[in-house]
Amino acid sequence: MIEVRDLVYEYPTTRALKGVSLRVGPQTITALVGPNGAGKTTLLRCLAALEPPYSGSVTIDGLDTREAPRAIHARLGYLPDFYGLYDSLSVRRALTYTARSRGIAPALAAAVVEKAAGRVALLDRLESKAGELSRGLRQRLAIAQAIVHEPRVLLLDEPAAGLDPQARRDLSVLLLALKDAGMTLVVSSHILAELEDYCSEMIIIEDGLIVGGKAVKVRDVERPRYMLEIAAARSDLREFLSGRAGVDVIEADEYHALFTHTKNAAARAKLIRNLVSAGFEVSSFGESTKALEDAYFKQVGQAQ
Amino acid sequence: MNPEFQRNLWLELAPRRMVVMAVVLALVFFAAALMEGTTDGPSETARWLYYVIVVIWGTRNAALSVVGEIRERTWDGQRLSSLDAGTMTWGKLFGSTIYTWFGGAICLAVILADLLGNRGPLVALIELVYFVGIGVIAQAASLLASLVAAGRRQTQTQFVVFLYQATGIAAAVAVYLIWGIADPAGSILAHKAPVDFIIWWGRAFDARGFLLLSLAIFTGWTLIACYRQMRLELKMRNGPLVWLVFLVFIGLYMAGFDGWLSNNPTFAHLGTAAHRLLLSGTTFGALAYTMVFLEKKDRVRYRWLAGAFSKLRLGSVLGGLQGWMMSYFAALIAGLVLLVWLGQVSPGPDQAVLGATMGFLTRDMAIFVLANAMARRGNGDFAAVAILLALYALLPAILGGMKFDAGLVLFSARASDPVWLSPLVAWTEALLAVGVTATKLALPEDRTAAVRT
Repeated sequence: MIEVRDLVYEYPTTRALKGVSLRVGPQTITALVGPNGAGKTTLLRCLAALEPPYSGSVTIDGLDTREAPRAIHARLGYLPDFYGLYDSLSVRRALTYTARSRGIAPALAAAVVEKAAGRVALLDRLESKAGELSRGLRQRLAIAQAIVHEPRVLLLDEPAAGLDPQARRDLSVLLLALKDAGMTLVVSSHILAELEDYCSEMIIIEDGLIVGGKAVKVRDVERPRYMLEIAAARSDLREFLSGRAGVDVIEADEYHALFTHTKNAAARAKLIRNLVSAGFEVSSFGESTKALEDAYFKQVGQAQ
Repeated sequence: MNPEFQRNLWLELAPRRMVVMAVVLALVFFAAALMEGTTDGPSETARWLYYVIVVIWGTRNAALSVVGEIRERTWDGQRLSSLDAGTMTWGKLFGSTIYTWFGGAICLAVILADLLGNRGPLVALIELVYFVGIGVIAQAASLLASLVAAGRRQTQTQFVVFLYQATGIAAAVAVYLIWGIADPAGSILAHKAPVDFIIWWGRAFDARGFLLLSLAIFTGWTLIACYRQMRLELKMRNGPLVWLVFLVFIGLYMAGFDGWLSNNPTFAHLGTAAHRLLLSGTTFGALAYTMVFLEKKDRVRYRWLAGAFSKLRLGSVLGGLQGWMMSYFAALIAGLVLLVWLGQVSPGPDQAVLGATMGFLTRDMAIFVLANAMARRGNGDFAAVAILLALYALLPAILGGMKFDAGLVLFSARASDPVWLSPLVAWTEALLAVGVTATKLALPEDRTAAVRT
């Protein structure tokens, strides 16, 4: 869906991207992570065909950003890190304007506005002025504007910045729903914890370069990663787990094992029963919530 | 309806605002009617109010139509919209100013009612075209200035917005003063008797018709410029053809006023053809200076252009040329043709001065690019202007004070002894400036290496 080859981008006095290559598959949520100033926003703006590459190429849905920027604009939604809203317009009018300016026919505009507002739970605020909304609601409106035309690709730059925990949770649910609806999402952030809930791939960028040079598989929503800890050492821990149906061991030693397994609660309960029956002294069993962070530091460490 | 225009209607034409505008204007005209005799009466008051509302207020709204979006961080969203450049341009130009046009329309109704009663329908029609034209060209010039600045990613302070507005007001003042030459209704400030004919390309044209047609054409060119600048903002490419057509047009248009030079003792001996070439070349040169000041001097773009040129990708090179470059080349070509022509009618000093002028033009273009390449923050255009002021005014004044007139050839195109000294000095400075600029534009080796790793 997205392919970047040897992308170089320069500001007048500095080279922000120094030969970035990456590929993002369709219907995925990819985390674009890296420290402040790494080039995340520049990369997203290049993906959005808002900035032309100095050299290299960016292809979205088979279209080159240099050759067909307008066709790409029509295919994507983009939420910048610092976005603005038309404060004097009502939510309905703001969404209607965005829908119409995104090529939605007048006869269909009202329906798509209601659908977008429903997706971000703003149906009860349609007549409120954008300037009167709280920060979380403004964020929802901004996302609704980015998705009102059902883009194939959605680029979000720090979408959860400044949101409270409930709003972040709502955002996670929304992004997963958009992915399930067929969209390909790239989400930039320098806060790893907020990406953990919804991202399935990770791209690490540092100082204008992709660290490690490839996307890292972070999380499968249907098959989360679990961490098992046992109180007494057992050298056959990996072997035992590998023999169980539906278990894929990522790494294991005599005390710990990290593996993926179906999210089904009954299947998990059966696995724990099997472990205990086989004499393993299970002291801890839970979903690993630091997969992204682990992968990030592992990649960064390898690069350094 | 155009969504951008629709959005502006929502924001600008609230019923309460329309009522306020109509009531305030009605009261002003009523007061003017009561005081007629001591004041100019409703018609003259309406003229002044039209200029205030449509030109002064309208230019501010037009300038803010893009700057406001950048300030409010909604511009990226608009750039990603599906609206084409033409739709976006007219949606912004006439949408953001619709409230001022509402007020302007009320003023125009008063003006036209007076003209129809006292001067007849023809004069009323001419005045209608004039007033609409001056409003559109002023607002379009203001929008154009803000779009050019948006392309340069300049900071958008209140002062800068005022500069965009001032550009539109300056365009309106120019139209107003030129219209005063032949104003059939009597210009407010004009004290000269109106002229009936304008001599252009040796033929006499009705002054009012000629000026109205010129106003319409230049308004059209301003709108085309807005459209093309909007295309760039929407990441579309502009080919060189339209700018080249404009150069041909403006060259021919200005060359037609050769009568200005035929009575001037400095130029009279050169002949009509030389006068026309001189007017065209000077216009191209003035455009080159204007555009090099306005356009973004992007090192990355110039590196890319140099790369395309070295690979002989001429299509890419032509597509990547900026307005100042094409104007500069046009000035150079006009200068070279004139140089050859002068060889037949006035060889020697005139040729040397022209050759030196072309050298200094080249040097000055390089100074603008160099000053921007060296600027760490902001743009180097004001530094370039300061350098040129020093070169053309300050240093010559110091040399003049020291009675060292021979040294003036270093700073301006002038007759010298020997004759070839002046062009030699100018072109030496030009080549030096171009060489330093090219070196400065090249990417430092350490950063190039980073790409290869």
